[in-house]
Amino acid sequence: MSYALIVAEVRRGVFEERNLDSVGLAALLGKETVLFVPEGPYQIPEKIADTIVRAKTAEETFLNPLNLTKMLEQIFAGRGKPDYLIFTQSSSGMECAPYSAGFFGLPVITDVSAYDKDKGIFYKSYYSDKVFGEFKPAGGAAVVLTVRSGSFKECAAERSVAAKIEELSGIAETEGRVFIEYVEEEKSDIDITKADFLLSVGRGIGNKDEIPAYEDLANKLKAVLSGSRPVIDKMWLPKPRQVGTSGKTVKPKVYLAMGISGAFQHIAGMKDSDCIIAVNKDTEAPIFQYAHFGIIADIHKVRDKLKEIVNG
Amino acid sequence: MNILVFTKRVAATQEEELRIRDEGAAVDLSKVPFKINDWDNYSVEEAVRIVEKEGGTVTAISIGDAESDEVLRRAIAMGAKDGFLIESDAVMHDPGARSRLILNFIKKENVPFDVIFTGVQSEDDQFGCVGGILGAILGLPYSSMVIGIDAIEKDHMIIRRELEGGLQERVKLAVPCVLSIQSGINEPRYVSIMGIRKASKVERKVFKAADYPAENAPGIEIVRWTYPAKKGGATMLAGELDVMCGQLLGILKEKGVYQ
Repeated sequence: MSYALIVAEVRRGVFEERNLDSVGLAALLGKETVLFVPEGPYQIPEKIADTIVRAKTAEETFLNPLNLTKMLEQIFAGRGKPDYLIFTQSSSGMECAPYSAGFFGLPVITDVSAYDKDKGIFYKSYYSDKVFGEFKPAGGAAVVLTVRSGSFKECAAERSVAAKIEELSGIAETEGRVFIEYVEEEKSDIDITKADFLLSVGRGIGNKDEIPAYEDLANKLKAVLSGSRPVIDKMWLPKPRQVGTSGKTVKPKVYLAMGISGAFQHIAGMKDSDCIIAVNKDTEAPIFQYAHFGIIADIHKVRDKLKEIVNG
Repeated sequence: MNILVFTKRVAATQEEELRIRDEGAAVDLSKVPFKINDWDNYSVEEAVRIVEKEGGTVTAISIGDAESDEVLRRAIAMGAKDGFLIESDAVMHDPGARSRLILNFIKKENVPFDVIFTGVQSEDDQFGCVGGILGAILGLPYSSMVIGIDAIEKDHMIIRRELEGGLQERVKLAVPCVLSIQSGINEPRYVSIMGIRKASKVERKVFKAADYPAENAPGIEIVRWTYPAKKGGATMLAGELDVMCGQLLGILKEKGVYQ
């Protein structure tokens, strides 16, 4: 049978919104859609798919690539292999998709952000969105995909009837990888999600010694200082100050990004800000595609000039 | 503990303007500098820290052309004992092909290991797949997004993996296993030119990718390269620096965040 199988993500009892992008892509692909979910007291829109398969296991054991491949094996035994096995481009999708591809001997294309139905081509980012590769599975074989969040949500159409519900039980849990616990982020006295005005710095600031000068600018402008992933990775700013999918999602009135090129994971964490202003010396920086206002200049010079004007 | 760590030489395109050549057939990297993949820098560091504490060896492995020797020298300067280059002039875009090449190499050369490290992804293709596919075809436990290694025992490790929104999960993995290391797990040590020069004296072994042919598994093909679709784009402020900065402050005032 010809179908698309979506492995849904549920975290801390929430059916993640990015699952709708997987549903949207499945709709574009024009296949019968089977949504595979863990047990839990969460709500799913009942007309979201043709069939919903509920695994008799909790979210922590479900999104474990070793367990998941065994469960998929059970599903494939009943329905045959799907034409498309779809995950989200997320922490769990990024490990379950390649592991499943290796396990079942299927090709894989990750971070898919567009699909050309006529040509059967998937668009995948290269070099932080500076170019895109047009890929297809060789010989039209079945393929494993991960989907970039926000890319296909609007293609997710409601079915006319509620999904057929099936159950998958008799699941064997692996000893090879076992969930122990969730670990919360360290507490911070500053909550960047509450700020009206964020001054956010990226790799472009060059080195840690520049941080105090940007902190000073933030203080003068009454902004809160935040940063993109490279700045947090290098420990120039603490983790609670990170904007992006693995950090915080923010929606301030003004987001002033200095020296941030705009990796997708960063954009996803700030794109709903009321006003985005980007300063970068790289005219090709992807962030200019999402910003409302842009300045192409050396960020340190902009910083110093702003301070000079503010100081009067 | 013996750790194999995969390290890739990638184009540093962060501040480069990329041009597509030959009607989409290739991306022109002729004027772009190359460097070690950022994620691999963190994995090499993590591997070296583990053997410094627990004993064992780190072997750095790279797939690529002869120039990739550069990232092996760098890994040795950081503390790896050996450097293996699996030489291949053709760029393998399909992560499945790369993983199967690694599998065949490890098997044929009988490379011993307890743990294999890869970076979560490489900066150039951002596939993030080699570690996961390799884990599955080796039949080993796997975790990606590894942001902390809390404990190492003879038969298992306790690690933390990064989820979304600042959340992590703590996981127990049986050893041997494959781990993909997330950036920010540690603070990679500084590598001096002197250090790299010294590392050059350590012999690196070169193998030919063609000697480890993979069985024919279904793969993916690249049709062509394109530029991203232009969205609305920003209104660009122009003029002298003080004019642009004045306009910027004007916008802040208008939005009510600055008086």
